[in-house]
Order: sequence, then C-alpha cells, then structure tokens
Amino acid sequence: MEVHSRDYAKRARAILRDTPGVREAVTAATRSFDDHRRSAFAELDGEALRDWAEGVKSHALTHLDRYLEQAESRLMERGAHVHWAETAEDVHRILRELVEREGVRRAVKAKSMLSEEVGVNPLLEAEGVEVFETDLGEYIIQLLGEPPSHIVGPAIHRSLEDTQALFSERLGTATDASPEELAGAARGILREAFLAADLGISGGNFLVAETGSIALIENEGNIRMSTSLPRVHVALVGIEKILPRLADLSTFLQVTSKSATGQPVGTFVSIIQGPGGSRGGEPDGPEELHVVLVDNGRTRLLADPEAWEALRCVRCGACLNICPVYRQTGGHAYGYVYSGPIGAVISPGLVSLEETFPLPFASSLCGACAEVCPVRIPIPHLLHTWRERAVEQGLTEGTARSLMKGWSRAATHPRLFDWIERAMAVLPDGISRRLPMLRDWTRGRSLPRATGPTFREIWKDGIE
Amino acid sequence: MNREAEGGAGARDRILARIREANGSRETVEHPGTLPAGLEPPVAYGGQRPDPVDALEDRLSAAGGRVVRLSGPDSARRWLEEFAQEFASVSICEGVPELLCPSLPNAQPEQAGLGVSMAVGAAAQTGSLLLSSTEGRRSQLLPPTHLVWVRAQDVHATLGAALEARMGDLPAALALHSGPSKSADIGRIIVTGVHGPGRLVAAVLEESGDW
Ligand code: SF4
Repeated sequence: MEVHSRDYAKRARAILRDTPGVREAVTAATRSFDDHRRSAFAELDGEALRDWAEGVKSHALTHLDRYLEQAESRLMERGAHVHWAETAEDVHRILRELVEREGVRRAVKAKSMLSEEVGVNPLLEAEGVEVFETDLGEYIIQLLGEPPSHIVGPAIHRSLEDTQALFSERLGTATDASPEELAGAARGILREAFLAADLGISGGNFLVAETGSIALIENEGNIRMSTSLPRVHVALVGIEKILPRLADLSTFLQVTSKSATGQPVGTFVSIIQGPGGSRGGEPDGPEELHVVLVDNGRTRLLADPEAWEALRCVRCGACLNICPVYRQTGGHAYGYVYSGPIGAVISPGLVSLEETFPLPFASSLCGACAEVCPVRIPIPHLLHTWRERAVEQGLTEGTARSLMKGWSRAATHPRLFDWIERAMAVLPDGISRRLPMLRDWTRGRSLPRATGPTFREIWKDGIE
Repeated sequence: MNREAEGGAGARDRILARIREANGSRETVEHPGTLPAGLEPPVAYGGQRPDPVDALEDRLSAAGGRVVRLSGPDSARRWLEEFAQEFASVSICEGVPELLCPSLPNAQPEQAGLGVSMAVGAAAQTGSLLLSSTEGRRSQLLPPTHLVWVRAQDVHATLGAALEARMGDLPAALALHSGPSKSADIGRIIVTGVHGPGRLVAAVLEESGDW
C-alpha cells in the first residue's frame, strides 16, 4: 500500500471538515468496542493475564528463528507449501506465479491487514483476477475504493445511511433497506463468488510452531469459507505471528477476542494444519495450502532496540478504540494501513520514520493505550522514542509546522482547540520551541507539563 | 521438500539470518509456562452454573445459539423428527450416526436448508463446538441452519483442555463454532447469518455410550 502518512495533518483536517459524520461514527463504534472489552476484563485478573501474554510473545520473538523453522517443518510434513517473502514484491511474485500456474480467475479474500500492507488486490487485478473482499465491512470499503479505517472493523466510519446509499447505487437495493436486507444483498453476490472462486486468500492471527497451525478469528464465517471452499488457499502470515505451543493458542484466542470485542472468543475460529481434499484425505477443503511467511520490514523492527516490542501486537484494536486522537478521524488520516496508537509506532519501523514522520505526533501521550494493550506494548514510550529520533534527524522543521497549521484549522471547535493545545504541550521541547504557532498559543500562559491533569481527565470533562 | 525453490530458499536464509542478528545481543525471555489455573478466564457464564454442560448451554445461548439437551436415543430421535419438520432438505456430514440423521431428502450443501454435523469436542469456557474437517466442511458452513450433535462426555471446561484432547489427531482444519454467523459492519447493527449459518443448534447427548 502507498504511504500517505506525511499528509496526516491535511488528511485529518479534510476528514473533520468534509465528513463530520466520520468522527461521530468512529467515536460511537470504538466506545462500544471498548465498553465490551471492559466488561469482559472485569471478570478476569487482567493484569496477571497480560503479564503472561507479554511473556509468551516476548519469548517467541527472542526465539523467532527456531520457532519459524519448526512451524515450517510441521506445515511441510502435512503437505503445505511454505514460501518466504522478504518484501511486498516477493509476495507479488509468489502470487503471480500461483495465479498463472493454477489458472486463477476469481479470488475470495478474508480480511487481512497484511494483504493490504503488501497490496494484494491491485496485483491480482492487474493479473486479470476478479477479487472479492468477503468480510462485510471490507466488501463495503472495496466498493468505495477505500482502505480500512480500523484493524477490526474496517468500515466503522460508515453509518447505516452511508451503506444504504452505497448499496442502492451499486447493488440496486431500496434506499431505506434494513441492515438485514443490505447484508442479504451482499451475501447473494459473495455466496456466488465463494462457490466459483479458485483461490482463497487469508491472513493469520497466529502461527503455532508446535503444530504448524494457522489460527484465524472472525464473526461472519467468511474466513472459514475462504479457507475451505476454493481449490487453493494462500495464507499470508507475518513472521511475528508465532506462538510456541498449542496450549498458548487457547489463551491467546480468548485474550485477543476479549480485547477486540469483549467476546469470550470470536464466533468462528479456524485452526489450519494443512491442505484438505484428496491431498489431505478429506471429503472437501482446498487441495493446496500455501503459507507465505512475510518479513517486509519486520526484521528491521526486530533489530530496533526499543521498537521491537511492538512486534508483540496481536492486532486487537483495543488501543485504537480507547485513543482520543484516533476517535477524531478514524484510520484514514494516518495514511497507512495501520492506524491509531499501534500504527503510529509500527509504521515508522516497517516503512521508515521519514515517510511516516508525523504519526508519532498524532497522540497526546495520555497513556490509555498502554493500559489496555493485552501484550503490554509500551506505546507512549515508543511514541516518545520516535519523536526524539525525528527531532534528531531534523525531520521536524517544515512538517511540524504544517501539522500545526492543519490542526489549528481543524480546531474551529473551541474545545477541540483546547484539546489540541494540550496535546501539543507534550511535544519534545526541541519542537515546541521551533513552532511559532505554538508560541502564539501559549504566550502569556504556562503550558501544563507532566504535573498537570492527565490527558484522560482533560478529555473526560473537556470535549465530550 | 515442498519449500519453494525459485528464489525462496535465499529469502528464507536471509530472513532467518536477519532474525538471528537482530536477536544477537538481546536477552532471551523465558516462556512463562502453562497459564496458572487461577488466571483462566471463568468457565461459568456470569459465575453461575459451573458444570461444563450447563456452562456451555449458558454461553452458547448468550451468543445467540440454541442448546437442546437430550437424555437418550429415544428422546433424541423424537426431538429430531419434530425439529426436522421445518426443513425441506438436509446435507449431512460424513460420520454422523444413522440414528442422528433426520429423515429428509438429501441436497447439496449449497441448496440444503439444514446442515448436520457431529462435534469432536466442545469448550464450556468459550461456548465453542469443535468441528473437524474430516467430516467435510461444506455442510458445516453453507446451509442457513446448522445442527451440531455433541456428546456430553466431550464437553471440556476450558478451551485449552478441548484443544489438547485433539492434539494427537489434528485434521487439516479444526474449527470452533461459538454462535450464529454475525456482523455489525452495517451501522453497528447486529445482523445474523451474514455468510455462515444464521442459526446454530447444539444438541447435547447427555447419556454416555455409543451414539
Ligand atoms: S498494540 Fe496492543 S492494544 Fe493495540 S492492537 Fe496491538 S495488541 Fe491490541
């Protein structure tokens, strides 16, 4: 996917100005996710569970070579093909060869952020393959030609009215069709696609070294279908998705689901070991399973003495849901596939700080994300680290100014203005000194520093 | 070896080498071990009924599924005949015992109104039915209503125990079904039956023995 993160401020401004409904929709959806997460964790020893989960992931990452080799062996013993991709181009080459060899005409896709990251859809379309996103939210944004706005709910920025209008124009449903009717129209099209597709593409939430299992969590059943109905299944799995043992998986399935939506576990979980059909000696299922282990910047992140911790991420979205800055705009402002607090700390590592530079500044360092993260990624600390590096690298000059300009224009709402002012107060000193606008803002006032109220306190009695 | 030759082995070695280098000077972290029992998410729904079958019933119902508990072959057969009346056709997974197959005309999974399968296990903690790909996946996924038979003796308290029990005999794909297919992607309003079955009925066979 192309990176537009340098335009963060411009994009945020445009969203706030042109589509004010986005802020409302995103805030409502993330609050509801967060409420459900809270009730789920109320019946647990959440702190101890998070310590344990952090330990398992850190253990897996510090033994990553060994576990990847183990997973590879298990998968190959079951007749799966294992590919290694250093870059997005490697993934493209692997897919292109498969498409040609298997004569693929139609592909169904189960939601995968990694497939967005490496740009699977444009590649397949260029190869003449018809591609169907099958998660309902992904299908909506595919019709719109938009990237996902949230890692769990890709279309949370669209209201019922938006989807009514979209489906009435594109699928011919009534302008006041009910959610059931809208879902029914999508189901009709996608069911046909499932039955006719030659290729199913999925991501992978976890890869269990001990058994070579790829585990996928979902609610609709489209992932089960994408990985069961077509003749060929390709799973794109980031190398950091390793879990050592099957016994770890049962807890991670629960912790991830609870952190994402508050469910005890997602409605459907697929745990895939190898090809099915005649190859696997089973009545149906894909004859071929290809697992693509993708680096694409992950080893660079692993080599980072601080930011490597972000590789523990299970993509539950809890940090997005609680983030007051993310709630303003949803994911599109961030200009890259990963948004919100976790996007702001992994994108500079996966892509480069230069290309994603303002993202670590799209935060007030309120600390809420670190409190909810099930694998204890120290997000605020890492944001600060990236900010310092940006200052050191001299990246902050012009861009920080335009960031300020963007925010100040967005801040037509007096209380939002106040919020931004406070957000900017935690910029590293080097930057605030260089920002004339901030000097104007703060002339005659003293900025609250660490001793002032926390951002969450301000937020609570502030904007809302 | 199935490892893909074309440039793949080089990429593999380079990635592994980079990982080793990245981790070179880093202190390794020990695996914290099996999750202590005290940290397991609770089995009983709302802290109420701790018996695994009761808890499974409570959790599956809370997720929008329906649970029927049947005491023996006769009551199972009677219930099945009545339940089957609302369907015109059925698609049955391989390995469902004769006695538990409704007397309905068979149809392809994509045409059948009802799919019937036999769980290889269940987890009360998450309200999950474990299904194996060895019985065929289409009948588990395509019909709008899914009837799953589950033996009470196969219902485990925790998800970990339920998976562990399958460890030695993992199929191509193991699946957990923990409710009807649902989505909130349209304006945050929950819609069921988006892709997978919109109705999930778990029929628990309480009497141990050969079904
Ligand atoms: S950083 Fe933590 S809270 Fe955020 S998505 Fe990743 S695991 Fe979830």
